Amino acid sequence: MSTYAAPLNDMRFLMNEIAGLKDILALPAFADTVDADTVDSILEEAAKFAAEQIDPINIIGDRKQSPKWDNGVVTVSPEYKKVSKLFCENGWHAMPGNQEFGGQGLPSLVNFAVNEMWRSASIAFALCPMLTMGAVHAIEHHASDDLKQKYLPKMIDGTWGGTMNLTEPQAGSDLTAIRTKAVPDPSGDGTYRITGTKIFITWGEHDMAENLIHLVLARLPNSDPGLKGISLFLVPKFLVSDDGSLGERNDLICSAIEHKLGIKGSATAVMSYGDKVGAKGWLIGKEGNGVAYMFTMMNHARIHVGLEGIAVAERAYQHALAYARERIQGAIIGDAESKTTPKPILFHPDVRRLLMDMKSRTEALRAIGYFAAGQMDLAKSPDPATAKKAQANLELLTPIVKGWSTESSIDITSEGVQVHGGTGFIEETGAAQYYRDCRITAIYEGTTAIQANDYIGRKTAREVNKETGETGFTARALYKEIAAFADELARDAKLGDIGKELQEAAKALIDTTEWAIKTYGPEPQVASAGSVLYLKLGGIVLGGWLLAKSARIAQKKLDAGETDGYYKGKIATTRYYAKHWLVQAQALKREITEGGPSVLGLDEPLF
Amino acid sequence: MAILVIAEHDHASLKAATRNTLAAAARLGSEVHLLVAGSNAGGAAAQGATAGAARVLLADAPQYAEQSAENLTALIVSLAGGYSHILAPASSFGKNFLPRVAAQLDVAQISDIVGIVSADTFVRPIYAGNALATVQSADAVKVISVRSTAFDAPPESAPAPVENVTATADTGLSKRLGQELTKSERPELGAAKIIVSGGRGLGSGENYKKILEPLADKLGAALGASRAAVDAGFVPNDFQVGQTGKIVAPQLYIAVGISGAIQHLAGMKDSKVIVAINKNPDEPIFQIADYGLVADLNDAVPELVAAL
Amino acid sequence: MKVLVPVKRVVDSNVKVRAKADETGVDLANVKMAMNPFDEIAVEEAVRLKEKGVATEVVVVSCGPAICQETLRTALAVGADRAILVDAGDVELQPLAVAKILKALVAKEAPQLVVAGKQAIDDDANQVGQMLAALQGWPQVTFASKVDVADGKAKVTREIDGGLETLEVPLPAVITADLRLNEPRYAKLPDVMKAKKKPLETTTPAELGVDVAPRLKTLKVSEPPKRQGGGKVADVADLVNRLKNEAKVI
Repeated sequence: MSTYAAPLNDMRFLMNEIAGLKDILALPAFADTVDADTVDSILEEAAKFAAEQIDPINIIGDRKQSPKWDNGVVTVSPEYKKVSKLFCENGWHAMPGNQEFGGQGLPSLVNFAVNEMWRSASIAFALCPMLTMGAVHAIEHHASDDLKQKYLPKMIDGTWGGTMNLTEPQAGSDLTAIRTKAVPDPSGDGTYRITGTKIFITWGEHDMAENLIHLVLARLPNSDPGLKGISLFLVPKFLVSDDGSLGERNDLICSAIEHKLGIKGSATAVMSYGDKVGAKGWLIGKEGNGVAYMFTMMNHARIHVGLEGIAVAERAYQHALAYARERIQGAIIGDAESKTTPKPILFHPDVRRLLMDMKSRTEALRAIGYFAAGQMDLAKSPDPATAKKAQANLELLTPIVKGWSTESSIDITSEGVQVHGGTGFIEETGAAQYYRDCRITAIYEGTTAIQANDYIGRKTAREVNKETGETGFTARALYKEIAAFADELARDAKLGDIGKELQEAAKALIDTTEWAIKTYGPEPQVASAGSVLYLKLGGIVLGGWLLAKSARIAQKKLDAGETDGYYKGKIATTRYYAKHWLVQAQALKREITEGGPSVLGLDEPLF
Repeated sequence: MAILVIAEHDHASLKAATRNTLAAAARLGSEVHLLVAGSNAGGAAAQGATAGAARVLLADAPQYAEQSAENLTALIVSLAGGYSHILAPASSFGKNFLPRVAAQLDVAQISDIVGIVSADTFVRPIYAGNALATVQSADAVKVISVRSTAFDAPPESAPAPVENVTATADTGLSKRLGQELTKSERPELGAAKIIVSGGRGLGSGENYKKILEPLADKLGAALGASRAAVDAGFVPNDFQVGQTGKIVAPQLYIAVGISGAIQHLAGMKDSKVIVAINKNPDEPIFQIADYGLVADLNDAVPELVAAL
Repeated sequence: MKVLVPVKRVVDSNVKVRAKADETGVDLANVKMAMNPFDEIAVEEAVRLKEKGVATEVVVVSCGPAICQETLRTALAVGADRAILVDAGDVELQPLAVAKILKALVAKEAPQLVVAGKQAIDDDANQVGQMLAALQGWPQVTFASKVDVADGKAKVTREIDGGLETLEVPLPAVITADLRLNEPRYAKLPDVMKAKKKPLETTTPAELGVDVAPRLKTLKVSEPPKRQGGGKVADVADLVNRLKNEAKVI
């Protein structure tokens, strides 16, 4: 068993050198809130809490005492309860909240790094505050002041939890199929009565919070049958009196929890609203805007699910590395000494390859994620040009962070199992849990196909500059920047080989992007058939770009006499990535631009 | 110049660690004197006389009854003039006053030595034994605490003369209100020759007792535990062997149901012989065990008790 | 009553330290650092004394390179009021030098109580508290597992080989904390944010007039001998036989 150690050196490096922490801390929103030293302290303390408190309960939730359902009541293990309480008491739950309601008002980038730690330690546990904060954001941005004052402080400090109720048995990726109904309360008090069934409600019921505030998408009578007929309602488990005390139980119940492949430490609930008289709910914002409100949180939510992928990949790497350093098995090929003085399996070339693959990909994903999180903050810059560019980059990168980080995490955690050999397949070693836990991340909050469609379509081929009429201008500008950087790096005396691989890969991405823009309109099915591969291509090249940038900064630090092994490691990791991942860009370009018709070539009856 | 060893004793008898410390002192090449500071400590002094020292100095006075760091330091400093080295066991006894002596003499203290290179150069573990530092002292007096497990006790010698030395005045700085010594019939963890230690594999505190106590009874062994077992509440904290618990090096260490986390290994890897009993052959404990038995501890340990 | 707590920045206790191949020291490049665990316990005890109304101010001190500020901030985040960094640059500070620095600070700060960790987990010396007590001529209580302070006296239970003993000492005094004295709290995020605003003053050994020249020279740092483990026995009978006749330990 390994102990989680937050990769603080990589986090700090990316925050400072890649994501622009200095500029972010200078923004008016943060200048009086926090400084660089305090950010450091926050990371240190969070790392400690994640390692010592959350990491040890990950196994408990998964294999020893998963949440139990009994007649509508869900009970978690005492360890989950204890850690959850401490997590709230120590102010970690409130961290991402608005200062006005008791939060800390920290930059997204800082929240992102801290959240990586919670998720590396346990995705299942971290989902609970994540969902609550999602509900908090929706209320904060769209609900009336009354609702905000009543619900936000207790939700932010973690006394109450929050949930998001979108999915129904017939309405998964397609929300137009939502049937849950809301009717105005006959008393005319301005509230609504909600009836319907919601499924896949993460932490929809549990005993770690005094009250649960459910945000529910439902249809009002006689509303538009499409997305515009769906409104968002706040439906508390216990009704809240005006003085904030808890009143009677609302007409809603958790009718079951799911048996899942992974994240078993979290309760995934089937929620039944209005079995008796209809659950009392309050409309958030305007009628018919429910789905739009959900979409305003989409970037945030998707980036954070992407972060789950990064976090689990990191944890799986640490777990595999610890095992590879300890486990002795067989002599090392080409190393006579190892026959008499046994060396751990870390010295077997293929175990090295697996570990390098895990490490370099995780670092590439983290670089993209942190860069995107930094763009979230820079999008709040008072300088309109900076803000606009940051927002556009964020929009473009969101499907990559979500789709590519989560898809990669499945591979990376699988490699972690492989490093363990046979014992990796045995639950006791813990490697298998990471593999199971990350599997959902490529599905919920928009499957990879949905991300890929967003990336190739809305973010690229359908992005039109209203003034110039140019299509895909954000993507084109960013990829041009990558190509220019690659040209420069290719001339570097020490890192030229990496620069050359990046040049080739950037060219493949640019060519494929031009193909996508050209193909998307006339042949949408062909473009769509290649979209996930296009997302993969984008992810590989963007990761390579940010790793190469990191390597160049690391080289400069070494040249200036710094001796930290981290810098040497960064260059070695980047070189591995260039030789093993950037080289795939050429093949992907052909697969995408030439392979579409073969995807669609088989007639349906012949399947 | 001669070498002074401070005896650890309970007034009536000498503690074993004193003999190991005398063994270390003997390696320094000069005459070794043993200081017994106590109250009615004739018994301890008599045992000290045959423990290998050339002379025994007995400071017998009520102010040494409690062995306070303040009073012992005053005495040792009053005698220090004639000595090149002052040694004591690196036990909670020696560690308590020895740095105080060093500071009074304005010299460094060398903690927990496990090896002697020469009269001024010593080997000591650092980082919980993950590295060994060889250090050289330029101070006029070398004040040294000795890890008793690293030096074998010398054989009994012909009785040395016991001389009384003048007691120093009571400093009056410290008063003992009470003592709670563990009443266990078993030897202390820190000084035991054999340790039977249990881990999470035992499953419960009840099973820990049921399985391990008969074995410890049979072997006259002390009982220890891994941090996992302590954290799981099987046994109290003071059973813990490891980096943050007790560091032990018995003749025989029997690890039962212990996986062998790095922190645990740091606390017991200097044991002379290590036995591991665990059902999972891949546990790291087997990599350092001399005798690994892959078996279900619930069967193997009772069988072992029966076979002994 | 003012309480002074010295804290040391050391390698994180989860890191497995190795000697460098050239035996000049241990490899600390790229290694996570943290507050010495025993010092965390000392800080916690001092903060609890303040929360009980026994202490009025908790001052933390760290001696070493400027980066020790991080450790001081950690202590401020869990409740210390003020911090002093004794910036010694890259000079190796041995226990006697640290004790002398603390003596100089005691002269300036006049605390009634110094609570220190019993030892640092890097050099494992276990000396500073006792040395400071000696230099001050103060009473000491090492390896404390319970501390009560009232009426100018400290009643302290300490862990000794074989059990516990309780001592009473008049203040001022030095107490060193053992593992079971308390369970240190985690810093609360709002307090981490506020720690930056708490005073942190910097001084140097030279300003304090302390000679910190090392007294011990480290000639080499080597790997401990590796155990030749990995032996397996067939069954219990085989084990008993080997213990009796091969290892001769029973």
